[in-house]
Amino acid sequence: MWPEYTEQSDNFGGKNKMIRVTDDVIIKTIARVLTPFIQVYALYVIMHGHHSPGGGFQGGVILAASLILLLITHGWAETKKKFSETKTAVFCAVGVLIYTGIGVLCIFMGGNFLDYGKLGGLLMVIPPEARSLGILGVEIGVGITVMAVMFSIFFDTSTGGNSPEDETTSSLR
Amino acid sequence: MHEFFLSTSILLCFLVLLCLYRGTVGPGVLNRIAGISAIGTKTLVILLLMGFIYDRVEMFVDISMVYALLNFIGTLAVAKYLEIEGEV
Repeated sequence: MWPEYTEQSDNFGGKNKMIRVTDDVIIKTIARVLTPFIQVYALYVIMHGHHSPGGGFQGGVILAASLILLLITHGWAETKKKFSETKTAVFCAVGVLIYTGIGVLCIFMGGNFLDYGKLGGLLMVIPPEARSLGILGVEIGVGITVMAVMFSIFFDTSTGGNSPEDETTSSLR
Repeated sequence: MHEFFLSTSILLCFLVLLCLYRGTVGPGVLNRIAGISAIGTKTLVILLLMGFIYDRVEMFVDISMVYALLNFIGTLAVAKYLEIEGEV
């Protein structure tokens, strides 16, 4: 079932076929229609993480799934306009920065690391509401990082580490 | 009403076993993909029925929607991989 490991099957013949654009109009149309709904649902999962199943990691995975769907149906040249490699690296770092930034801010306000109740003085709200907002901020950071890392893992494994040239042809093979 | 949901779930679990048979020993790759996709849709319905049994269907709806989305994308990715490798 598994293909033989050769130099050619390593990087898909140097053509990165896994992230090429497909010919099938049904798949392309479904992906184009479905991607915004998947992203809105991922935002819902992140925002309602503290009173329903889900949270930052799960919402980030769903966001990454929408981007992967766009990548395997519309190719790298189209996805690059939405989410390039530079943006991937930046989002990886920004999510961790939001997470640790909120945690360290709690230390500066006089609590422990990620002690959201102490943010109430900064946000002008009572401590229980500050805890809810603090968890929401941390989950947004986690979601951004997970989205970028999942997309990066799929992109790197499907290209074999080679940066793909611009695919302007619409043929699969 | 719980007995109805529970008996429907058990029937669907039996159907999952049939699909699992087709997914493991089924001749060819396409039969396996169809079997695994059918297992995914049945799991979705079983999750919703569990939500009705436990009276927390608003939580299980979220999980089953995620399951449906990831099942669709996974099947699409496997199909594209097989098309590239020339298995089909």
